[in-house]
Amino acid sequence: MLMPPFTLHHPTTVDEACELAAKLMAAGEGFDWVAGGTDLVPNYKWHINTKPHVISLAKIQGTDTISSNELGCMVRLADLTEENGVHSVVVQAASKVASSLVRTNATLGGNLCLDTRCFWYNQGEDWRRSIDWCHKADCGTGADCRVIPNQNTLCVATYQGDIAPTLMVLGASVHLIGPNGARTLPIDSFYQLDGMKKNVLEEGEFLLKITLPEDANKRIGSYQKLRVRDSWDFPEAGVAASWIEGDPTSLVVATTALESIPRTHPEEVASVLEAGWDGNASVKALSTAVQKSVKPVNNTALPPRYRRSMVRVLTKRAVQGLLE
Amino acid sequence: MSGGYRQQPGGAGKVTRKDGKRVAGKQAFPPPGSGGSNPTMAPRDLDFIPEMVGGKEAQPAGAHVHDRARTGTSVGKPTALVDSNAKVTGQAWYGDDVRLANEVIGKILRSPHHYAKIKSIDTSKVEALPGVLAVATGADSPHQFGVLPVTKDEHAMAVEKVRHVGDLVACVAAVDEATAMEALNLFEVEYEVLEPVFDPKKGLEDADEPIHWRGKYHLARTNVQKRVFQEFGDRSLVETPLASSHGKWNMAGVHHGFTEPHAVVAHWDPNGRLQLYTPQQVPHYTHRALATVLDVPMHQINVIRTFVGGGFGGKSDPFPHEMCAAILARKSGRPVRITFDREEVYWINRGRHPSHIEVKMTADEEARISGFDIDALIDGGGFASFGHVTSYYNGVLATAPYELGSFHYTGARVWTNKPASGAMRGHGAVNTRCAVEVGLDEMSEQMKVDPIDLRLANLLPPHSRTISGFRITSNGMREALEKVREGSDWDSKFRQMPLGKGIGIGCGFFISGSGLPIHWDPNRFPHATVHMQVDMDGGVTVHTGAADIGQGSTTAVAQVVSEVLALPLEMIHVRSHESDTSPVDLGSYSSRVTFMNANAAIRAALEIREQLLNAAWEILGYHPNNLVLNDRRIYYKHDPAIGVSYLKALHKAQEDKGALIASGAYRSPPMGGVHKGAAAGLAPAYSFSAYVAEVDVDVETGMIKCTNVWAAHDCGKALNPLAVKGQIIGSCHMGLGQVLSEKMVYGRTGHLQNPNLLEYKIPSVHEMPHVEPIIIESCDPEGPFGAKEAGEGPLLPILPAVVNAVYDAIGIRLRDLPLTPDVVFKGIEKGMKAAGVDDPLDLTSPRVEHGALQPLLVKRAAEHKVRDRARQRSEDTDPYVNGVLFGFDPNLPLEDQVEGWRTATEPDPEQLAELGLAGKAWLKKEQRHMGGDE
Repeated sequence: MLMPPFTLHHPTTVDEACELAAKLMAAGEGFDWVAGGTDLVPNYKWHINTKPHVISLAKIQGTDTISSNELGCMVRLADLTEENGVHSVVVQAASKVASSLVRTNATLGGNLCLDTRCFWYNQGEDWRRSIDWCHKADCGTGADCRVIPNQNTLCVATYQGDIAPTLMVLGASVHLIGPNGARTLPIDSFYQLDGMKKNVLEEGEFLLKITLPEDANKRIGSYQKLRVRDSWDFPEAGVAASWIEGDPTSLVVATTALESIPRTHPEEVASVLEAGWDGNASVKALSTAVQKSVKPVNNTALPPRYRRSMVRVLTKRAVQGLLE
Repeated sequence: MSGGYRQQPGGAGKVTRKDGKRVAGKQAFPPPGSGGSNPTMAPRDLDFIPEMVGGKEAQPAGAHVHDRARTGTSVGKPTALVDSNAKVTGQAWYGDDVRLANEVIGKILRSPHHYAKIKSIDTSKVEALPGVLAVATGADSPHQFGVLPVTKDEHAMAVEKVRHVGDLVACVAAVDEATAMEALNLFEVEYEVLEPVFDPKKGLEDADEPIHWRGKYHLARTNVQKRVFQEFGDRSLVETPLASSHGKWNMAGVHHGFTEPHAVVAHWDPNGRLQLYTPQQVPHYTHRALATVLDVPMHQINVIRTFVGGGFGGKSDPFPHEMCAAILARKSGRPVRITFDREEVYWINRGRHPSHIEVKMTADEEARISGFDIDALIDGGGFASFGHVTSYYNGVLATAPYELGSFHYTGARVWTNKPASGAMRGHGAVNTRCAVEVGLDEMSEQMKVDPIDLRLANLLPPHSRTISGFRITSNGMREALEKVREGSDWDSKFRQMPLGKGIGIGCGFFISGSGLPIHWDPNRFPHATVHMQVDMDGGVTVHTGAADIGQGSTTAVAQVVSEVLALPLEMIHVRSHESDTSPVDLGSYSSRVTFMNANAAIRAALEIREQLLNAAWEILGYHPNNLVLNDRRIYYKHDPAIGVSYLKALHKAQEDKGALIASGAYRSPPMGGVHKGAAAGLAPAYSFSAYVAEVDVDVETGMIKCTNVWAAHDCGKALNPLAVKGQIIGSCHMGLGQVLSEKMVYGRTGHLQNPNLLEYKIPSVHEMPHVEPIIIESCDPEGPFGAKEAGEGPLLPILPAVVNAVYDAIGIRLRDLPLTPDVVFKGIEKGMKAAGVDDPLDLTSPRVEHGALQPLLVKRAAEHKVRDRARQRSEDTDPYVNGVLFGFDPNLPLEDQVEGWRTATEPDPEQLAELGLAGKAWLKKEQRHMGGDE
């Protein structure tokens, strides 16, 4: 598997990276950011949406900060441990990403900006030619989506990152930077439909770090992941929940790997809380409500009907701690 | 006693020079000192010399014809594989490690269509691309080939039609990979797309354009490649059963998932001979196919087998890319290397057939198995490959280890527009075995008996004959069942564990080498030949064509030679890589290598041994009958001080003729029935196995975790217990993949959706249970030192053991493999509906209370145990054939004793209406009977 040739750039400061991006944009040259490379390189090997330039964030100073309320984009997943002061819910999710080998290289930023996945899309070039391409990587053909046929306006590839929902339930903010300056926004609003757009990053912008609010440390919670092999599979469904100990009203639930973006479920939680917290009955109602709110499609290893059914079980297990 | 030996024979001469320095090659060593790194002779290792010849090695199954050749050197000792150093240090040369000067890179253009006619191929733009050295298409390779002589339906590249996405259309050789890839985009191919067939059921119907055309032998206009009908025994026995099981199975296709992708290097040497490097399990078939395709005599081709990074059956066909490399190399005049991407590996496939299997079985009032009725419709994909054999194996390999009242099998293999299925570890036997063993579990539940006791009371004894005429020799089935029952603490777990925890049993039966070499008459040419040469240095060079694919065949051959000649393993050098130097061998498939090659090697080694003993006789004056071979020394039995070093005896033997050479061969004896297809499944010996698996099922999610496996396998005699245990554990891993997570997923458009190792879910070490390998040694009379196969058979029982354990855990019979969590969850949802519960945690797991038949079975099993032991040790040599359990006389033909006893290979007209899914193939007529296509 030979990757198409590209020029690899190694800026050492954020400013340099932004300048480089601006320069390439001005020249009309396409480029991708790369951090650990565990997502981008396989896609490049498959010749999926490759670009002539790749800018590496690996040598940019100060991007690997780890503290209880700030995590740099270049933090390796293997370093997201409680010893390093990382929140236990994030640690739970990080320790379940892929395999230990991948976690040693993969980064937090890369995981949050993970390309969406679909079995019509994550394939070699010959394979994709045999289905006459797809909407997400149409190679200039204007091909239809293969999951939901007869349309080429919406991509339903699935976001299969594990860490995003845990940061969502802890109320994290993402810090973005690019040639047009820096901005900060809650991670809830970082992701944006559809499977091609994925998130709000503008061309030339990259995710610099995430920060957690002070009260995140008061929160406890859990991340539940569904997959065929515990050893290294992407999530087929994932549910994160957090709450302040003994306070059901503080509950936040987020799901991942079910749709093109991970998201929180404030309405479902609110409707259960409105009826008054009632232990097991509330957990059941909440699990059912969250299950009903997600709409997975058939583009991962397990069938969507099953993944949806499992959301109920995963939610129940994620909030189990509230009953103790 | 000898005063030692010199490294070189010749005049005594001085051993030191005037200046006191030693003279090279003239140094005396203390006896025995004949080569090997240890200067002193090791004492005889009586623990590894059979008790029948005066050693201490227990032989509960009796003596063996090879006992007298045992020296206690290597056999039975856990031995690291002789090629392991090369592998762990990264020096083993696999297919893609071969680098020849001036090599160029070949790439293959593949079909984007499932099924299409090729109207034209324009290669002009490709040829014009700078850096392109050769281009080839189907027009360059008109000759057909295939692994089986009866079904040669492949071309190097498509001629006329492409038959699946990924089928080879053309190929190109260029100076580097980037140029070759660029060149692929410049081919202009015009296709006329045809209506594809994906569903094997549809393949049974007539089509406008069958995928292949077999002329007068074509079955109507269907896509049926092979149909089989077999019926033996008295079918009236099944009419009033006490218990019965009827299961319809749907089993997904699985792939071998070997680590090394296919890779080949072809080079026409300056003399115009083809040198082809390929990681092949069966270099000889490639050799034959190359000769056909290239129109070159076989002696002008040297097939060099590189190290093989896993094969499991997936590297045993001659492959079109091997032909492409040779064609491109011939055209370009440069060595050409082709290495596959993983998706190409899946497109060439040859994995286990996706199967629809229906099994009906019945038991009579004495809990005897009155009938197996098996129907197997298997999806062959685009080519025949080994499918002709697979079609038989799906039925005939279910005729043991149980004694049957009757046996009925209908099988059909159909072509579909998918990558070709083929042979995979446990070839053809795995899926049916799973269905049969689960059926037995179900019947034992109906009869309120323990499933292990049901099996123990219905086993064929050693030295018997199956219902279809297979000769059973050694048989360790009973001991295997007893060992796993004890090891797993079965009696206090089965049907007694809480919801979600389960334990299950499964058995296996497999051939130890196919009795029929498919390219020749076994009576006219041996299955395996081994050449041996011992020169002055004392090292033994062994030439064999056995392909070591990681299973340790090289080690096995080295071990038996080392055992016979009483030489350390380091003095045995096995050369098996080149067809130029290796005698013809059928290669590594059908679990034949240890059985056949080691047998051939023993014969050659015995010849050398005789020459050595005769030389020692001349030196010592004692007849060989009174001489002992031990660690590089030959001595008088009654006084070890009177002896001669191995090397001295060797040099004596070499006096008149130089290096000693010997050739040994193995040929299977004539055996089996005479009905059509009688040779399928026929083997000189069979392996037996029994596994117990324990599982945890998460009833809320349907996730299964297999936690423990007790795996007993009868390999006759473990020549290398370390390798046997490795094979058992490895087989468990592969079988667990098939039963829990692996499947080749064909989506709604017929495309293979998961041609990569992330989405094709092979269990990792994390998913592996604890496996307790238990070796059973039944000492096969024909096996080398009693050995039988251990490479494939151990895979079979794990599937049914897990499926039965899942039933024990959650009370739900599942018959869709693999048991991915969604499949299990669907079953659980059904179970909840049936039980009227809302929460899966409220389900109940099955319990058993033994009925009146249980003590009867225990008693019968105890009687049979005595019977089996006497037969195993040849204390009882009366004939025994399948049917004795039903009261028949083994000395008379069964046809004469029962009116309805049948041996049929074609259905009666009145049976046609009631045949199963695959049996429907018998409703069609061959073209020659329809007056068509003569």
